[in-house]
Amino acid sequence: MKSKQFQKFLENLKDDFLFYAPKKTESGLRIEKISTISEIDFSGAMPVNTWKQLFFVHGEKVFDFKDGSIVENKIEAPLTVAFGINVLDLRATTLYEHVFEEDVYYQKRRNSTLIIGYSDSWPIDFKKYKIFSHDFQKDILRHLIFDVFIAKVKKDEFIFFAGSKTGQNILEKYAVGDYKNVEYIGSSPKTPLDKKMLSLQAKMAKSADKKIWDDLGKICIACGKCSIACPTCFCFDFEDSSDPDGQGRKRKWGNCFYNDFSKMAGDFKTLDTVKQKIYFWYVHKFVRIPREYKMPGCVSCGRCNKVCPVGIKINEVLKKI
Amino acid sequence: MFNIYQPQKAKLISISQESSETTLLRLQFTDKRFQKSFNFSPGQFLQIGLLGWGECPISICSSPSVSDKYFELAIRDVGQLTHKLNSLTIGDEVWLRGPFGNGFDMEKFSGKPLLIIGGGCGFIPLRPLIQDYMAGKIKLPKLQIFYGCLNEDTMLFKKEYPAWNRNSEFAITLEKPSNRWKGARGLVTALIAKRDIDPGSVAIVVGPPIMYKFVIKELIKKKIKPQNIYLSLERKMYCGNGVCQHCAIGPYYVCKDGPVFCWQDIKNIPEVI
Repeated sequence: MKSKQFQKFLENLKDDFLFYAPKKTESGLRIEKISTISEIDFSGAMPVNTWKQLFFVHGEKVFDFKDGSIVENKIEAPLTVAFGINVLDLRATTLYEHVFEEDVYYQKRRNSTLIIGYSDSWPIDFKKYKIFSHDFQKDILRHLIFDVFIAKVKKDEFIFFAGSKTGQNILEKYAVGDYKNVEYIGSSPKTPLDKKMLSLQAKMAKSADKKIWDDLGKICIACGKCSIACPTCFCFDFEDSSDPDGQGRKRKWGNCFYNDFSKMAGDFKTLDTVKQKIYFWYVHKFVRIPREYKMPGCVSCGRCNKVCPVGIKINEVLKKI
Repeated sequence: MFNIYQPQKAKLISISQESSETTLLRLQFTDKRFQKSFNFSPGQFLQIGLLGWGECPISICSSPSVSDKYFELAIRDVGQLTHKLNSLTIGDEVWLRGPFGNGFDMEKFSGKPLLIIGGGCGFIPLRPLIQDYMAGKIKLPKLQIFYGCLNEDTMLFKKEYPAWNRNSEFAITLEKPSNRWKGARGLVTALIAKRDIDPGSVAIVVGPPIMYKFVIKELIKKKIKPQNIYLSLERKMYCGNGVCQHCAIGPYYVCKDGPVFCWQDIKNIPEVI
């Protein structure tokens, strides 16, 4: 497809959907709702914020309390396009697809959202990203969940891939006849599993006594910015409000760096020190997620490095475990 | 799509004060079909909640072998929600999700002598196991029950002690009893040290975090193998589905992989106990 037709395709989508895409703003490249196609950034650079905000909404009301009963809040999710998700962020959204498989609220939003991945070169051409947490698969698209993926392979040539029936239907609807179907075969190759992921998992599992955790315990201020910025952090809390104006149960993003995260009866906390908290964060990324979902829990997006006020660099930490 | 966070309504059908800070609530789901099909195993837990007050994890403390018409929860008054739950009256409604987690897998224990060790309100999830044994649901060559409490006032399930005494080797020790107390004094670890324990026994241990380290040490001294020691761990169980991360320990989730763990499987996880 040529640039002109590609522009037309985007215009059509824009007319029919709420359209989220990376956009240059005063506070950096951000995923935002756009009003014209010209606002989209096609560089493939890593946005400051993450796509998780679209599917896993902070502060979402999950239940209403009505006449002494608890009633599921039926979310009205508007038809939305999430356009321009780069391959690393698609790894994170793919993880979410597995994590929230049984979550009605996530599914409601996901089912009304079209996930459109994009790369400004062939998807395998990943050299612009510094990947330190996993192996980059040659057949990367087969390990990602998306509806449509578009690769700009030459200055004036775009190749389309459909990753789902919904994606196929959309491409047919907008008369993109020339596309390839890609079948999702799982988040990682089965044999052998991602070697880098496995090696980090094994190292992490044995690293509890390493000096790095004492060092980080002294430097880290447990501000929790890395968790907020991380596309694979998904912990949450429920919060009840008995306020007569807005009675109900809400779901809020959690944060393992905050003191109430592990607080139990009698104010007893299992994560009491900063060292315990930051170790817990790394175990989630490099032990629990690989064990449970057979995929890396860190996509090497580097967002945590950028937001950390004390300069902790995840890629440097991993060298010391 | 079934909503995994949707709680079910249950009615409080009776209340008994077990100790100055713990109340035994007998509950029944208001949906009769749900109540009839409500099945669980000893060691599993529920999320109990009140609208506007949130939810908290509570071990089920009765067995379906006693009745399928109700179930019981013993709730210690330690926080805002549990305080509120302790002040409910008959007919009041609560909201529940579950059962969650893996309970005690009795197939692994059958045919071996069983040693049950409980400390404080950690004894709560052990009661259904004892009830199953008393009801003849579990066949064991021997059952020993060791229970450590702070004082007479914190002893739970007192009415059931005569039956436990008849059918098992039941011993109770109090850490700080009154002068009137004629029984054993001290920690539950002292009971383990003093009593004859078959090294081929399976030991089930539930109690406050501080207890585990010392009890396991004593059990190992008695030549009980780590693969025959089972613990029920307590963390901040929250979603019940291994997603929200609050109850994670090392590679596992207490709400999904536990709360009952084999010591052999978790002993290398830092700060697990």
